[in-house]
Amino acid sequence: MAGLELLSDQGYRVDGRRAGELRKIQARMGVFAQADGSAYIEQGNTKALAVVYGPHEMRGSRSRALPDRALVNCQYSMATFSTGERKRRPHGDRKACEMGLQLRQTFEAAILTQLYPRSQIDIYVQVLQADGGNYAACVNAATLAVLDAGIPMRDFVCACSAGFVDGTALADLSHVEEAAGGPQVALALLPASGQLALLEMDARLHEDHLQQVLEAASQAARDVHALLDRVVRQHVREAALLLGD
Amino acid sequence: MASVALSEAEKVYIVHGVQEDLRVDGRGCEDYRCAEVETDVVSNTSGSARVKLGHTDILVGVKAEMGTPKLERPDEGYLEFFVDCSANATPEFEGRGGDDLGTEIANALYRIFNNRGSIDLTSLCISPREHCWILYVDVLLLECGGNLFDAISIAVKAALFNTSIPKVRVLEDEEGSKDIELSDDPYDCIRLNVENVPCIITLSKIGYRHVVDATLQEEACSLASLLVSVTSKGVLTCLRKVGKGSLDPESIFEMMETGKRVGKVLHASLQTILQKEENLGPKRQKVGFLG
Amino acid sequence: MLKSKTFLKKTRAGGVLKIVREHYLRDDIGCGASGCAECCRTQEGPALEPRPRDPESSLCPQPHYLLPDTNVLLHQIDILEDPIIRNVIVLQTVLQEVRNLSAPVYKRIRDVTSDLSKHFYTFTNEHHRDTYVEQEQGENANDRNDRAIRVAAKWYNEHMKKITADDNHPQVIFITNDIKNKEKAIEEGIPAYTCEEYIKSLTANPELVDRLACLSDEGNEIESQKVIFPEHLPLSKLQQGIKSGVYLQGTFRASRENYLEATVWVHGDDEENREIILQGLRNLNRAVHEDIVAVELLPKSQWVAPSSVVLQDEGQNGDDVEDEEEKENTLKTAINEKMLRPSGRVVGIIKRNWRPFCGMLSKSDIKESRRHLFTPADKRIPRIRIETRQASTLEGQRIIVAIDGWPKNSRYPNGHFVKNLGAVGDKETETEVLLLEHDVPHQPFSRAVLSFLPKMPWSITEEDMKNREDLRHLCICSVDPPKCTDIDDALHCRELENGNLEVGVHIADVSHFIRPGNALDQESAKRGTTVYLCEKRIDMVPELLSSNLCSLRSNVDRLAFSCIWEMNHNAEILKTRFTKSAINSKASLTYAEAQMRIDSATMNDDITTSLRGLNKLAKILKRRRIDAGALILSSPEVRFHVDSETHDPIDLQTKELRETNSMVEEFMLLANVSVAKKIHEEFCEHALLRKHPAPPPSNYEVLVKAAKAKNLDFKTDSAKALADSLDRVESPDFPYLNTLFRILATRCMMQAVYFCSGMDNDFHHYGLASPIYTHFTSPIRRYADIIVHRLLAVAIGADSTYPDLTNKHKLADLCKNLNFRHKMAQYAQRASVAFHTQLFFKNKGIVNEEAYVLFVRKNAIVVLIPKYGLEGTVFFEEKDKPKPRLAYNEEMPSLKVEDTEFHVFDKVKVKVTLDSSNLQHQKIRMSLIEPQIPGVSGPTDSTTLNTDEPEKKRSKLEN
Repeated sequence: MAGLELLSDQGYRVDGRRAGELRKIQARMGVFAQADGSAYIEQGNTKALAVVYGPHEMRGSRSRALPDRALVNCQYSMATFSTGERKRRPHGDRKACEMGLQLRQTFEAAILTQLYPRSQIDIYVQVLQADGGNYAACVNAATLAVLDAGIPMRDFVCACSAGFVDGTALADLSHVEEAAGGPQVALALLPASGQLALLEMDARLHEDHLQQVLEAASQAARDVHALLDRVVRQHVREAALLLGD
Repeated sequence: MASVALSEAEKVYIVHGVQEDLRVDGRGCEDYRCAEVETDVVSNTSGSARVKLGHTDILVGVKAEMGTPKLERPDEGYLEFFVDCSANATPEFEGRGGDDLGTEIANALYRIFNNRGSIDLTSLCISPREHCWILYVDVLLLECGGNLFDAISIAVKAALFNTSIPKVRVLEDEEGSKDIELSDDPYDCIRLNVENVPCIITLSKIGYRHVVDATLQEEACSLASLLVSVTSKGVLTCLRKVGKGSLDPESIFEMMETGKRVGKVLHASLQTILQKEENLGPKRQKVGFLG
Repeated sequence: MLKSKTFLKKTRAGGVLKIVREHYLRDDIGCGASGCAECCRTQEGPALEPRPRDPESSLCPQPHYLLPDTNVLLHQIDILEDPIIRNVIVLQTVLQEVRNLSAPVYKRIRDVTSDLSKHFYTFTNEHHRDTYVEQEQGENANDRNDRAIRVAAKWYNEHMKKITADDNHPQVIFITNDIKNKEKAIEEGIPAYTCEEYIKSLTANPELVDRLACLSDEGNEIESQKVIFPEHLPLSKLQQGIKSGVYLQGTFRASRENYLEATVWVHGDDEENREIILQGLRNLNRAVHEDIVAVELLPKSQWVAPSSVVLQDEGQNGDDVEDEEEKENTLKTAINEKMLRPSGRVVGIIKRNWRPFCGMLSKSDIKESRRHLFTPADKRIPRIRIETRQASTLEGQRIIVAIDGWPKNSRYPNGHFVKNLGAVGDKETETEVLLLEHDVPHQPFSRAVLSFLPKMPWSITEEDMKNREDLRHLCICSVDPPKCTDIDDALHCRELENGNLEVGVHIADVSHFIRPGNALDQESAKRGTTVYLCEKRIDMVPELLSSNLCSLRSNVDRLAFSCIWEMNHNAEILKTRFTKSAINSKASLTYAEAQMRIDSATMNDDITTSLRGLNKLAKILKRRRIDAGALILSSPEVRFHVDSETHDPIDLQTKELRETNSMVEEFMLLANVSVAKKIHEEFCEHALLRKHPAPPPSNYEVLVKAAKAKNLDFKTDSAKALADSLDRVESPDFPYLNTLFRILATRCMMQAVYFCSGMDNDFHHYGLASPIYTHFTSPIRRYADIIVHRLLAVAIGADSTYPDLTNKHKLADLCKNLNFRHKMAQYAQRASVAFHTQLFFKNKGIVNEEAYVLFVRKNAIVVLIPKYGLEGTVFFEEKDKPKPRLAYNEEMPSLKVEDTEFHVFDKVKVKVTLDSSNLQHQKIRMSLIEPQIPGVSGPTDSTTLNTDEPEKKRSKLEN
């Protein structure tokens, strides 16, 4: 059996998208009542939840408190049923720890942590269904959750992945495209300034192509921003209506 | 929040209310909160369900995987339970913080669901001693607003109802070597019979009375509670006392009776909802977390 | 950007994993007809013509497009490739199915689709909002796909109605050979025909009918219904049987001599039963040469011995088997217990390896018959029954035929006519035949491949100069054979300020133009090497690159990959450096011109000084290499002088070797060794290297025996010992003896091969006496060099890597193909020389020449005519003639014919004639004249022999 053709001669990807197109994105803020902020996002079949607690006083050892800013604490976990083959543990493995760390770096860059010295902000993300671009979905969900919690940020953080096949950059890779093993870039963008909060690349990719892939990922992240912005405005409008009553 | 701290006055207020059959949120002692059930919410599982009971939010995914039957039961498949008390529910569960509670709930689930009485385990057997289906029932606790056991049992039952297992055939040639063939028709699958799958009813002793479906606040006022598992026919299959207080034998019987009564009603309404969803077929608009 | 799409999911249960994939449906996919108002999209790439001007069809007079289903595409690709067939809609569903079923057909259809003049359009129906269908309950995947194809056909027809106002709107005609599917389509109002119906309706082009593949539908059979062959078992049964050891899997190898016999080479490491012999039509059971088959071993009581009978299939159309049985009985002679071999029968075919076959038509005796037998040039392929109306035109022509199937009630496989190559004996035709038979890809480069060529006019840009040194100021020159247009190497040598010498080898930077993974790269990788025939060159890369942009011609700027050494005057390397560069060669010289410059004392320009320096160093390098044990071997190389008008060879000439030849060679070897070290150092797991294994001692037996006969003591325990022994061969009265010994030594050698360093641990190159070696210096004509260039470029940071380059399994597969292509190129080259030799002797008539005995066989001697470098076999046993007394002495070896004894290296005189008794297999025949043996030799002898083709196979040492 021949391997999968990631990009047809007619320019369509396995799922019917063109190279630069995102998957269908749907999101909702304020999913849970008890948390300070929460959000849910679907990017195609990748589904993620994010919950924010805080800013609150330090939990556990106070020695970890930072004198000048808030501590951002992140945990990334994946539901055991989220992947094709069942996972044995939802979190605690190396990959999950790494993701948690990356999230933390991403959001330390975006949240105005200096406003809350000696306190802690918890961001917990949970992948319910994984179909590629897990990191990006988590970042996007977390952005909405942080906004929902009312924690001031410099800017949205919008993330998207991109890959490179046959000389063409593909935006927002699905699981099949990721599994094919080509190079992939994950990128988190602060859209207003155009700054990158996170950049990660797996597999080898020639420098000359990097520009093209980065460009595709950034464009995709800007598209994500437009969508997230719409979700936030919608949410605020609804909340205002409720308050108005 | 797995638990809340209440002041003495708050407790007195709740206990007195229960005495009068009038609970803080306006319910009677045998009333359930409004429950939302939706099945098939995670498309890459064999079956899934989300249950929202007040602020308690549970997501259950069932994955069918092929394995070998256990030695002592060669012609049966079996179920595996895992409960993930995620940090989503409360920061206390971060890291390994939720493991104890998770194990406790999983153990209860094993006892209640993984037996021939509740599910026809022989239907999960593909070829005796060699292949069977293992159903991994993974419970994800997303938000905790009291009465975890009941909500989880409802979600498990709904997810099992929703589960479809691909049909496989064992091909055997003259030499006796076996090959497993999967049907290429995606509609060709086995559904489970969940008629005898019980639900858990937790009866919390508050003062001299007991209530069903206690909220977090009510749980804080309760010293001991009784966990009963009841089938749709009102048969009691399991009984367990939980909590740090003690119960007198008389009230246990009283609570059992209440459990049976409430359980039957609960089963009936759950069955109606599930059947209604099933009848809508693939045209059903899925809401999930977006609604 | 997404809102216009409906969202659907496709669930696939593979294994026990439930996999969910998204499947987006779009509303922006055009119908492919250029200028369609409804789709209002500018069409990129191939498109359908808005008003198809199709060949006249009596069935559908309206303008129309064709929409074939999967099986039509798979089996009738020959028809679809015909230039007459245009305006075809290829559905994505169909294309995907073809892709999974047959990679070669998929590639062909993609080539056709990319040809703009064919107007083939690929319609992405699976993602179109109106043509996507979901698998329904109780429907299998095949039925769903058939339905999807019909839905798309229906949509097209309605779409066409919508966009054209008048009644004469183009129709979309569904072509399927599946009767049920056709009926369903007609029910749904889709015009549908079978491929046969449609092609036959093209009244203006009756010749197309011949190219139809005949697919025998059960019940549609006109053949005798008698079942001749046992049924083939289904694949699943075969796999189970192979697993349990009841059946054995192997490659079917038909016998050249006997059409009723074949062997199966069993796959696997089992030493026992490696080779299974099959005899008789029923046991061969429709397997064709090179098929992968499953065989069942017969009980020992039914084992047979390989027969020594030569049998050619001469039967006519008939399907009678009685005849065959009689013949089969003749095989069962010589029953000697010891000769019995494991025997078996074919129970099923695991994989067919059918390709189009070259051959000639054997016209049916019945005049009106349309069914004829086709006799392939390769004797291992059975005759094929084809249907054609042009039998009389095809007679005496070389044609190509493809096999379509072999039903169990047919004596011969059924096939269809593909192409007429031309008249037999015609030079063009014969060249085409030998290319096809040696599987040398020689089609013109496809559009897709050419699209990756640089745009002309080309010049070096700023971008190109990144990571590149400018060496245009250096006095670089190239030295090649005359009329060479693909110059891949150039050299320079200059004195440095410190008194040392700087020597540079500059190789065409082909990997700059051929980027990994694109169509151009894939095609080059497939071709593997440029094939040089006597008067034709089959390029590995398109001419623009091979003869222009990559060719390091003089006085133009070219990109190169340079290997630069600093050496002292003793030719010891002090420093080695690799860099991508830009050069400007100052002169393209021939070997003779270069030699002349070096020799003439009056010339003292830069180029000449450079050449002298190189020559001096090369001599030292060569001496050192020979001291280390490198072999200098010899093979009789000849060139044809070709008549400029008729292109017939008029004379032969052995290649002359000059000092400058070995000067260039020396530096190429040095560069190859330096590069091999470098890439192996950098990529110890996936360097592409070349090795030459030491031959097993038994290979040298012939040589040692021959030496003994000449009173020489030959040591062969190491390359060094062999080289020394060869050097000692000297005979004042027989100056050619040394060359003969070297020719013989060449035949003892193993084949040098490419390999991936991570898959092997023996790197030694025996012939060159080098611990490590690779090919770096000829990237224009060898693909291995391109890979080596890429590896080296990555090693020095001049270029990027890609996944396949660092995948040792991929690399090992590539090596396998390259080794195969090189072997085939060599065979093709020899076949070309043989053909030209035949032409030469055809024109020259009968000649008598001096020759030397190379080998002595049981009933023949193999001789070499040094004048022509021609080798041939002189048989002493002939059909219809009394057999002479033969006494063969294996020890010597010698052969006594009557009273004359022949030894290796004896001088004889032979008569050379051309035997044209078999049109398809002409050959050079040699017979003995001197020494005279009564009844065997003699100039009067002129009866035709039915000898076999002289043994042409020889292992030639290639560095």
